[in-house]
Amino acid sequence: MSAAFLLKRLLGAVPLLLAISLLLFVIVHLAPGGPLDVYVDNPSVTPEALRQLRIGYGLDRPLPVQYLLWLKSMLEGAWGYSIRTGRPVTQEIIERLPATLLLGGTALALSLAIALPVGVLTAALRRSGVDRVLTFLSFSGISIPVFWLALMLQLLLSIKLGWLPAAGYETIGASGVRDRLAHLVMPALVLSLATIASWSRFLRSSLIDVLEQDYIRTAFAKGHSFAGVILRHALRNALIPVVTVISLDLASVISGAVITETVFAWPGIGRLFVESMDGRDYPVLMGLMMLGSVALILANLLADLVYAAIDPRIRYE
Amino acid sequence: MRAFPAGVVLTAGIALISGGVSVAAPVRGGTLTVGLPYDIDTLNVYATATLGDVESAVIEGLLAPNEHARYEPVLATEVPTLANGGIEFTKHGAAMRVTYHLRPGVTWQDGAPLTSADVKFTWEAVADPHFLAESKDGTQEVESIDTPDDLTVIVNYRSVSPSFASTLFTFGILPRHLLAGKDLNHDPYNDTPLGTGPFMVREFRRGQFVVLDRNPHYWGRDAQGGTLPYLDRIVYKLIPSSNTLGALIRAGEVLLAPRIPFMLAKQLEGTANVELIVGPSLGWARLAFGMKGKSLLRDPVLRRAIAQAINRAALVKAAGGYPQPIRSPVLPVLDELYDPSPEAEVPGYDPVAANQALDAAGYRRGGDGYRSRDGVPLAFGITTQAGEIDGEIAEQIIIAELKAIGIRVAADNKTGIAYRQVRYRGEYDLLYGRWVTAADPVYSVFYGSHGPLNGQGYASAPLDAALERMETLLEPGPRRAASADMQRIFAHDLPSIPLLSNVSIAAKSTRLKNFVINPTNMTDFISVAHWYLEPLPGRAP
Repeated sequence: MSAAFLLKRLLGAVPLLLAISLLLFVIVHLAPGGPLDVYVDNPSVTPEALRQLRIGYGLDRPLPVQYLLWLKSMLEGAWGYSIRTGRPVTQEIIERLPATLLLGGTALALSLAIALPVGVLTAALRRSGVDRVLTFLSFSGISIPVFWLALMLQLLLSIKLGWLPAAGYETIGASGVRDRLAHLVMPALVLSLATIASWSRFLRSSLIDVLEQDYIRTAFAKGHSFAGVILRHALRNALIPVVTVISLDLASVISGAVITETVFAWPGIGRLFVESMDGRDYPVLMGLMMLGSVALILANLLADLVYAAIDPRIRYE
Repeated sequence: MRAFPAGVVLTAGIALISGGVSVAAPVRGGTLTVGLPYDIDTLNVYATATLGDVESAVIEGLLAPNEHARYEPVLATEVPTLANGGIEFTKHGAAMRVTYHLRPGVTWQDGAPLTSADVKFTWEAVADPHFLAESKDGTQEVESIDTPDDLTVIVNYRSVSPSFASTLFTFGILPRHLLAGKDLNHDPYNDTPLGTGPFMVREFRRGQFVVLDRNPHYWGRDAQGGTLPYLDRIVYKLIPSSNTLGALIRAGEVLLAPRIPFMLAKQLEGTANVELIVGPSLGWARLAFGMKGKSLLRDPVLRRAIAQAINRAALVKAAGGYPQPIRSPVLPVLDELYDPSPEAEVPGYDPVAANQALDAAGYRRGGDGYRSRDGVPLAFGITTQAGEIDGEIAEQIIIAELKAIGIRVAADNKTGIAYRQVRYRGEYDLLYGRWVTAADPVYSVFYGSHGPLNGQGYASAPLDAALERMETLLEPGPRRAASADMQRIFAHDLPSIPLLSNVSIAAKSTRLKNFVINPTNMTDFISVAHWYLEPLPGRAP
């Protein structure tokens, strides 16, 4: 892997991001209503005052001009002010990032730690009792609605047993790892369950395909142990499609999880997005969506790098 | 006549409880944890789009409505009236002058004295077109303000404005010494406002919580002359999911949740150590008709038939039995304006009469049971705010009831801003929604021909005239007569069908005492200085 390749990919992302930003800008403005519509039905905000506000925010200008002005200030690092709160967009986002990264990162680590062994186990022991139980659990994980599972966990672990706080990011006035962990357990579990289920299913089917290849039979014929064949010969080849799926989910570590954050009152990016969407807070929406786009592009790049790392036949020039 | 006495304890999880207002000696100290079902945009009382549950504990106005929707003095020494000379007519009766005397010795939470200059500054700051305020109510009506001394404020109005108490200075006074010359749209004040109220902002963590600490220099005193407030701290947790809020109340992590949805109240009935306090609210739910352009709903026969098709008892039952059925936009709790006579009521439930009227008007049923006339089907969309669970349930009942008289209705719900826009522009056939008024309601904004909230396309010169009298007269008798006229014209024209008088339900710990529901568009936290927490057995509060 050359540095030139990385540079090429990063440079290639620039026109892509520009195209994405244009598309997002148009879509956001196509949604019914606008940020100043909170004032339209307010008898005390006169049409003249509304006109002044529109001019103040630059919303009276043609859409292409608005886009170019937004792009210019975005490139200069000035992401503007939230129309809803009056605070800088960067401040709004930076405040919410730690919570989202903590939750998303924990859920990701949990998913990897559980999905990979489960996928290998179910493929290696396919059609066994273990496979059937884990398959049943996987499909349950994919099928159970997040909000329902969250509610059941709250009922059991908080209300009935009193082991964990029902919601929130931290105990006010308390600090420390233990308190943060107590708040993190339920949302991280809920967020990771569906990914554990889907990733393990992907790995299972991918691994089963590989296990039917001639070279695997050869490896067994040469007398390698079962575990050795699976881990040394089969797994690396089976991981390529799984890495693709994981990379697509990776971006959500940064872009937040709307339902989980809402149910657990977790102060992350997902909730900020919903609030901004409800209020058509264009500057915050655009900032968040561009952040999500960058995360997705980087996740794809990371996936390509991982491909090369696990499959020596893949080389990037 | 009152729909509910304020602070009725509806249900309790323990056997012996007092009502909302305690007669025992108050206990000092303790932290009250409050669950709010929304995220806070700003703590500036004029800029926020929320009701201001936090702000009301920090910032005070000159007056405030009490639990009976009557104004009481707060930073002023008395409520200005014609009788006490606080209101005087000017310009030969065409305008008025309102004089407030400020309470002496009141200081801001940083120690600076509150003066008449702060009141004048508040008007100037809120009226400033550059300030992006959600609420500028009342600023336009004021022509000038005189401040002859530090404790006297004379507000000169351009016209007679009987609803003056519902607006500007009641929301709160802004500190001139802190904000003069500042950009109110972006000032740090919006995160940590300074007031004269019983609590001070200690910390506001967005998306998480607000912590308020007791103001040790608060001017308020209880009946025995003791200092207020009783509580040491209030923690507001921001909980956007009502199911989670319910879980936190059950777990004892939230001791007070104001204005909970009816469905959550139903679920919490019988929960140990939790009381549901039901109080009147000046909100009402109605089904509005979109009457713009060639809308079929311009036909009064059709509107009357729809009114007769809706069974309010079913709506009440679906809402857990909490709201009260109403048949006038003027709520019974507004006893100075409400006319109880039958002519002032919109038609009640009578599906037989509704079917007969539609038959007679030529709306024939087809093979599928739905009606049409001249090939035009009676098919409408109904809009309510998506995600607002009580509204969505009521909507489904209305759809079923209109189906019974042969009208096909399909849900067409909208979220957030999109809902407001549709409502404002009248881009709907039927709209199920709520209005909340101040203690001095102004109905012309909803039903006046040029009312800013009259997006539905309804216009009536007689109603405009009745509203004009109702909203410009100060004398109680003639004002009541004008209100009766207004209600009769409304019942005849039926621009919308008033259905349910909202009640406000708070879920609170049995330990919280002196809590009362405020029925107006101000919040329950206006009276927070008097609330206290009984200690847990064997513990300090």
